[in-house]
Amino acid sequence: MAALTAAPARPRKLLASRKTRVGILYALPVVVYLLVLFVYPIISTLFLSLKNADGSLTLHWYVDALTGVNLSVLITTLRISAETALLSLVFGFILANAISRLRPLWAGLAMLIVVVPHFISALVRTYGWIILLGDKGLVNETLAWAPGAPYHLLYNELGVVIGTTSMMLPYTVLLLYGVMRGVDRGLLAAAASMGAGRVTIFRRVYLPLVAPGLASAGLLSFILSLGYYITPALMGGPNQTMIATLINQQVTKENQWNGAAAQGVLLLLLTLAGLLLVKLISSLGASAKKRSAS
Amino acid sequence: MKDARIDRRLFLRGIGGVAAGVAAATALGACGTGTSRVSSSGGGGKTVVVRDSGGSYGAALQKAIYTPFTQETGISVKVLNLDNAPLLAQIKQGRPQCDLINDSMMSHAKYAGQDALEKLDRDRITSLKSAKIPDNQITDHAIGHSFYGQCIAYRTDAFGGRKPESWADFWDTKAFQGGRAMCSPDGDLPELEFALLADGVPMDKLYPLDVDRAFKVLTRLRSEIKKFWDSGPLPGVLLSRQEVTMSTVWDGRIADLQKQGVPVARQLNGIRRQFSGYAIAKDAANVDAAYQLMDFSLRAEVQANLAKAFPSNPSSPVAYEKLTEDERNALAGAPQYYDKGFDTDIDWWLKNEAAVTQRWLEWARG
Repeated sequence: MAALTAAPARPRKLLASRKTRVGILYALPVVVYLLVLFVYPIISTLFLSLKNADGSLTLHWYVDALTGVNLSVLITTLRISAETALLSLVFGFILANAISRLRPLWAGLAMLIVVVPHFISALVRTYGWIILLGDKGLVNETLAWAPGAPYHLLYNELGVVIGTTSMMLPYTVLLLYGVMRGVDRGLLAAAASMGAGRVTIFRRVYLPLVAPGLASAGLLSFILSLGYYITPALMGGPNQTMIATLINQQVTKENQWNGAAAQGVLLLLLTLAGLLLVKLISSLGASAKKRSAS
Repeated sequence: MKDARIDRRLFLRGIGGVAAGVAAATALGACGTGTSRVSSSGGGGKTVVVRDSGGSYGAALQKAIYTPFTQETGISVKVLNLDNAPLLAQIKQGRPQCDLINDSMMSHAKYAGQDALEKLDRDRITSLKSAKIPDNQITDHAIGHSFYGQCIAYRTDAFGGRKPESWADFWDTKAFQGGRAMCSPDGDLPELEFALLADGVPMDKLYPLDVDRAFKVLTRLRSEIKKFWDSGPLPGVLLSRQEVTMSTVWDGRIADLQKQGVPVARQLNGIRRQFSGYAIAKDAANVDAAYQLMDFSLRAEVQANLAKAFPSNPSSPVAYEKLTEDERNALAGAPQYYDKGFDTDIDWWLKNEAAVTQRWLEWARG
């Protein structure tokens, strides 16, 4: 009897403060929303990926997803995402750095130019790429004098990475631009006054200051690329098939939800692994910084 | 239940009038299917929801079929563009959003296999007889209304005035130089039939397909295939940008380019035909209106009107008689072209699609 009355006493105590109660009230809609529309679908996807046709539990969808052509598609997905993340970081960095030095009006205009192409439908944009990058496209026509022309810029990995990088550029530019605007220019001036060269200032002062932005921008474009499929399908060949294409095929063509669920779960795990990796690297960096500071 | 059905049929047959049909549908709708939602209970205008694939095809359907149907019957038509998977999920939940499904006959066979379609009462579709729909397009659950074809499209300026006559020419990259484009499984069924035709298999001996042989023949062309297309307009874009000199194409998709003066043409020899049809979703809310719309759409003159608005080939032979000669010549389904092609064996593909698609990917990634 005592145990029974003791049990509800604790939460009552927890709920005693008015502040907590109000907080829970405010959080409730979001919590319910996430439980219903996020947690429940993910759990049911997980179950779907473990279910046999007859309802018993099995791992064979995962075996399927991790063997043969499915595995090579998974590796392709990782490779293209990594390439995209790297390239969009490099170009995003250069672009954001340039924009952050511009006057606000010009900076706004430059940002507009980066973002506006993304309001155009993927299909139309891809046809634009064909006009630009095709064998008889603008780039190859202007480079007709060069040795080795025409260059194959489409329907291979290069084409895909050009396409996905341009898709990811707004994200990296926007993120890095925000971080770079926050960098105190006085610090750079101070370093220069102490006699540091441009390379040293960049490497020892500027880069560490924008590093968190770089990490999150790179991660963001990597994760977004993982689930990407329109651009790779339109600008690549079969060797650039991404895992999202396979998931789509299984669901829409073959009505095969279990296999698709398994691949979806793998995609989710990869994303989490990516997040974990960045967390690990940034905490390692932070501890190294602390050590060097002490 | 059984009696109500017969009564309704007799009633419809006896009176036939459109207004009476509507009244009957409203009056008997409630006892028609016990499990269905009764959307017409509001007393207002009746509606029917039809699934189609949208785009320019959807626009043509609206113009040639839905609007005239509403004018004639007073039943308003709502359109739903939904993929197979979510539609099937809805039907399995017992609450399909749509009544009439316009989809490929192969999809209908898949739906039927999942018990997602109403068994059709042929007596309620009078235009089956008047439009002389061929028997092989009438199944228990779906009626074929038209077909689309997949054939060769090529640049007329690429081969010095010669024109490709067959799939063997499509494979002959010495005589007909330049890149090729073929369909990816994202777009349509893999094109094994074309490989077998190129290798000399006669058109009437294609099925069951010799998959090993087909892939062997495809391998001969692999290095020349620059792009596997996955959407209807892409072959036209690739041809007009001179990325390739020859491509497989959904027939009709290059007609606009030809009008714009792009030097492209089609070759109908060895065209692969795939039929689309109408079916009624299981537990649909407006079964009677769905029958009426299906019946209306299958009429020969309505099929002909659709063919004027969109390059779809009517299943009704009577429809072709209602077209001008020019309109008829533009359609791959015209009687004079019919022997050039073959019908896709959907039973074979239903059994083998998943395995062939997987193998296709392995092959294409090589």
